[in-house]
Amino acid sequence: MAAATTALALGVGLATAGSLAVQPAGAADDEPVTFNVAFLDEVDSFNPFNGFQATSYELWAMMYDYMIGYSMEDMSPEPALAESWETSEDGLTWTFDIREGVEWSDGEPLTAGDIAYTYTRILDGGPEAVNWGTYLTSVETATAPDDTTVVLELSKPNAVLPLLPIPILPEHVWSEVPEDEVKSYRNEPTDGEPVVGSGSFQLVEGTAGGSTYVLEANPDYWAGAPHIDRVAFRVYKSEDPAIQAIIKGEVDFVDDITPIQVEALQGREGIYAQNGVSPYFEEIAFNTGAVDTETGEPLGDGNPALQDPAFRHALGYALDNERLAESAYQGAGVPGVTFIPPFYETFYWEPPEDEMFTFDLDRAGELLDEAGYEVGSDGLRTMPDGSPIGTLRLFARDEEERSQTIMEFFQEWLGEIGIESEVSVMESNQLTNVILEGNFDLFHWGWYVEGDPDSILSVFLCDARGGSSDSWYCNEEFDALYESQNAEVDDEARIETIKQMQEIIYRDSPYLITAYTTTGQAVRTDRFACFRPQPDPGGVLLVQYGAFNYHFLRPADEAGDCDGVESAIGASESSGSDDDDGGGVALWFLGGAVLVLLVAGVVVAVRRRSTADSRE
Amino acid sequence: MTDTTPRLSARQIARRRRSVAWRRNWKLFRGHRSGLIGLVILGVFVAIALAAPLLADADGLKVTKATGGVLEAPSSEFWLGTDENGRSVLTMLIWGARISLFVGLLATAISMVIGTIVGLVSGFFEGWTARLLYRLTEWFLVIPFLPLAIILAVVLGRSLVNIAIVIGVTSWPATALLIRSQTLSIKERPYLERARLLGAGRWHRMTRHVLPNVMPMVFANTTLTVAVAILSETTLSFLGLGDPTRISWGSMLEGAFGVGAMTTGSWWYMVPPGICVVLVVLAFTLIGQALEEIFNPRLRSR
Amino acid sequence: MSTLVASGTEAVTEPPTRRRNYGRYVLGKVLGALGSLFFVLVVNFFLFRVLPGDPARTLTRGRAVTQEQLDALTEQYGLDEPLLQQFLTYLKNTFQGDLGVSIRYNVPVSELIADRFWPTLWLVGVSTLLATLIGVYLGMVSAWRRGGGFDKFSTGTTLTLYSMPEWWLGLLLIAGFSVGVGPLPGIFPTGGLHSIDVEPGTAGYVLDAAWHLTLPIITLTLAYLAEYSLIMRSSLLDELGEDYLVTARAKGLRDVDVRRRHAVPNALLPTTTLAALNIGFVVAGAITIETIFSIPGLGLLSYEAISIPDYDVLQGTLLLSSGAVIAANLVANLIYGILDPRVRT
Repeated sequence: MAAATTALALGVGLATAGSLAVQPAGAADDEPVTFNVAFLDEVDSFNPFNGFQATSYELWAMMYDYMIGYSMEDMSPEPALAESWETSEDGLTWTFDIREGVEWSDGEPLTAGDIAYTYTRILDGGPEAVNWGTYLTSVETATAPDDTTVVLELSKPNAVLPLLPIPILPEHVWSEVPEDEVKSYRNEPTDGEPVVGSGSFQLVEGTAGGSTYVLEANPDYWAGAPHIDRVAFRVYKSEDPAIQAIIKGEVDFVDDITPIQVEALQGREGIYAQNGVSPYFEEIAFNTGAVDTETGEPLGDGNPALQDPAFRHALGYALDNERLAESAYQGAGVPGVTFIPPFYETFYWEPPEDEMFTFDLDRAGELLDEAGYEVGSDGLRTMPDGSPIGTLRLFARDEEERSQTIMEFFQEWLGEIGIESEVSVMESNQLTNVILEGNFDLFHWGWYVEGDPDSILSVFLCDARGGSSDSWYCNEEFDALYESQNAEVDDEARIETIKQMQEIIYRDSPYLITAYTTTGQAVRTDRFACFRPQPDPGGVLLVQYGAFNYHFLRPADEAGDCDGVESAIGASESSGSDDDDGGGVALWFLGGAVLVLLVAGVVVAVRRRSTADSRE
Repeated sequence: MTDTTPRLSARQIARRRRSVAWRRNWKLFRGHRSGLIGLVILGVFVAIALAAPLLADADGLKVTKATGGVLEAPSSEFWLGTDENGRSVLTMLIWGARISLFVGLLATAISMVIGTIVGLVSGFFEGWTARLLYRLTEWFLVIPFLPLAIILAVVLGRSLVNIAIVIGVTSWPATALLIRSQTLSIKERPYLERARLLGAGRWHRMTRHVLPNVMPMVFANTTLTVAVAILSETTLSFLGLGDPTRISWGSMLEGAFGVGAMTTGSWWYMVPPGICVVLVVLAFTLIGQALEEIFNPRLRSR
Repeated sequence: MSTLVASGTEAVTEPPTRRRNYGRYVLGKVLGALGSLFFVLVVNFFLFRVLPGDPARTLTRGRAVTQEQLDALTEQYGLDEPLLQQFLTYLKNTFQGDLGVSIRYNVPVSELIADRFWPTLWLVGVSTLLATLIGVYLGMVSAWRRGGGFDKFSTGTTLTLYSMPEWWLGLLLIAGFSVGVGPLPGIFPTGGLHSIDVEPGTAGYVLDAAWHLTLPIITLTLAYLAEYSLIMRSSLLDELGEDYLVTARAKGLRDVDVRRRHAVPNALLPTTTLAALNIGFVVAGAITIETIFSIPGLGLLSYEAISIPDYDVLQGTLLLSSGAVIAANLVANLIYGILDPRVRT
């Protein structure tokens, strides 16, 4: 027993010592300034050719530079390593002028050669092409005629260029990693040596799948040294502890929290919390007719009614996006219209007033009547030939709780216009398979939309069926317009085409867009300031396109006017007064536990007495 | 001491003795106050589960029919506040009792049927079938419960019955071993040898002599297994592997944790389901222990 | 997970039938363990092949990839080979210590497991040790003073703890001691394994990790405690009813001596067995606790692998945990055989 007591005493001793060890050691000047970030997902690889998680992209953006990056206002292409660029008349040759005097963290110069090398590796195919190949569509060669010039030769014009958010890797390091070793190359710090990069920060500690990553500022960064010394990422596996950590000050930033949690944090002093606009829409997608891509034969068991655009379009009037935004999205979503979020103002298209979906069950009914789906004697709508439509299967995703809520609402509204349906919930993986096998009617999911709409447009192509297309939509008119916009170098004309494409999708309704979502984030503004939203205004503060804010942010007491950037979240903005209701809560938790223990104690006391009585 | 072990094979006498034994056991149980308290707690929850439609409108479970605000604190309208969709936590708690008890009982039934059959056969018979069954039991016992259950839950998909199957097929080995050891010791008793000499076949001996004698232990073990099954359901639901379209106490706790009950201060969402789980599991455990003491003469004599 | 209180002891020992010598006993047990291991390998492989979801497809969802890239991924992971071929390859590799490569992290599974092993071992190891010591002590005192105030309180508390989902208890403890409110200072961190600032390998690092692990260890200790205490209590009560003890007492031995020399050592047997078994559950035991405390251990690793599904990681962790249970079982059986010749069947 003595051993146990000692162990306990030791535990207490450790606890005290530990807590002392981690208290901030006063405001000593030589103490490095560390910005602590809580993420809910780990880095799955520090090798930019391997990872898939958003967290990985975030850290690559800090470790490396792009040739062309994203602007903070609207994610349009912006100079990064390339200071300027020009295209030939026919749009087949792009020439980039590369910044001089940029160095890798090991002192080697970063030249146009490194850029051409990185792009060439991707153009060669293999594992390197998986993550980045799409940005170099129709690029034939990438060459560096001298140290400050990169030339891309294209086989046909590509409207997505010059957007090139590909991390530029040091040739002198990666030339030692042959293609067949790329998958197993970890790109992690070894023997205390940081990973060689050119970004504003360099990775000094961390392994893929680990729970903490530390990056140190690059004092020689070409755009100037960051204002902080270190950024430390800590992976939390659940939201509540992460939020408690920011309340306690263990971390300074927390990403991806729910609107309810944002609201709970907004009252607290020294914390700024917001639902930032993110380029993400969610949709209810239809099985518009799955086919075997090789034989063209119908695939799966999708409901035939959904193959009729008129039927699908009519259902758009049976979807109350306002109500969904209020309840399912907890007030933090914007009712959806088209598949390009409205903050991409240039490309965003809105239908004329009289064609805009409104929640109007009568209208939906009329449209269905017109299309021949009339109400039968049992109160249910039938196919134009009089046969029953049957029960539509609505699939929700398990990972996203609101997904189920949305489908339950839709089920009810469908019921009111005489269409039977049932909701089931499954994991994303399983749903992916079901979609590819064509064994579904409707499902709810979402897409990130990049600054250039090309990739989201490609989701509706006939050729995308069996690949990224999840609605099995196919329309030759749309395909033709896609080809023309992709090769169109005149911006005005291209925008017009893209708006036309949105109109087609709106009319044919393979998707009904439910909402543009937001991402909840919170930051300790009493410790750090100068977070510029992207898109500006209203956007997210970190996990943006690019790593701007890690370079831009600074300790709260050095914030000043944040270099005159008015939209930056500064020290003065931290919101109002605070009533500490957390205290009551924890007491309630404990109260509950104590209560239970007491109850049990009494139960057993009684029990023991009784058995003791019967025994003696 | 020998109430449950009739020495004569005459059916009538056995039956009469058995009914006497049950009556005596009930008397013993009544004197067992902790078991009685467990029974009362359990009775209350069973009553709530059965009377759920009378106590709370089932529409209160639908998010589309929710009337309350987001995470409202307890009030006269919502005695235990509301969840993130504005549903009454009390309503969910009442209907959740049905699901949690249903899964617990169904899982136990599955586990008991498999466990009893495997245990009886591997204990009573000799030869390779019995040995194989015994090995199988041992093999299953070494595969850690939770990872296996998680994998099975993913494979089978999310439904109420599936979750019961998962718990049932992962928790039978312990029962099987218990039954087997009981069977082995009963098999050695002289009256079985006598029955064999009198011409009773294996099947007769197993079903008429061994099974009735093992049943009390099975019964005691069952109540304890229900306790474990309900705990398992809670844990699997918490890990997001329960039936997403049904509300159980476990899925409520998952919801509370997911919505950030600690940050938002919604103790009414986090604490009550947990207390319900503790009370029901405790009730089953108390009853099970009381039964064990009654049916196991060795335990009773101390 | 909790082992059933009632059957925890029966689970590992067979009742005596015939006597054999110890050598044969050992051989039988070792062969049995090897059989179990093979069974685990078979289950392990085929179970994972029926998991839904095409990993290559899953990895690329939301990103435009060509069919060729997809095929390349499928081929690279050998997902296109016949099942039997995959199984033979799996067996061969496993015996060579190659557990495959994580689809998610592109890192050998053995490395991942090595990374994640220590946090879990510390967490579950220390908890099991504390729970055994405290549980045995509580059970012993309870049994000795059965019906007394201590027994009532101790048994009541442990029964309640036994009835509690361990992660719920963990959440209450986080609320109480991490969030820190009212009279309770939030002295413990909300999660993770160590702070950012400490250097690995220093005394400060060890202290810091201990500080982070305190709450999870307390949670697991409380959760495990109940079983040990209840088993110790009931087996000691069993022993106290044995004839030899009555005789010993009748011979005039003092109670304390009776307890120390005879009853306790015998009653410890089933408890030791349970402890050995639980150590084997190292990997499995901490899934929920590692999740709520964000501890990068094996439980969290295998739970997260489910959603990909990352076959090799799942296989590796399940193999490791099952292997640990088999080994612990074997050791427990062998020790049991030495201590108590009656069980040499």
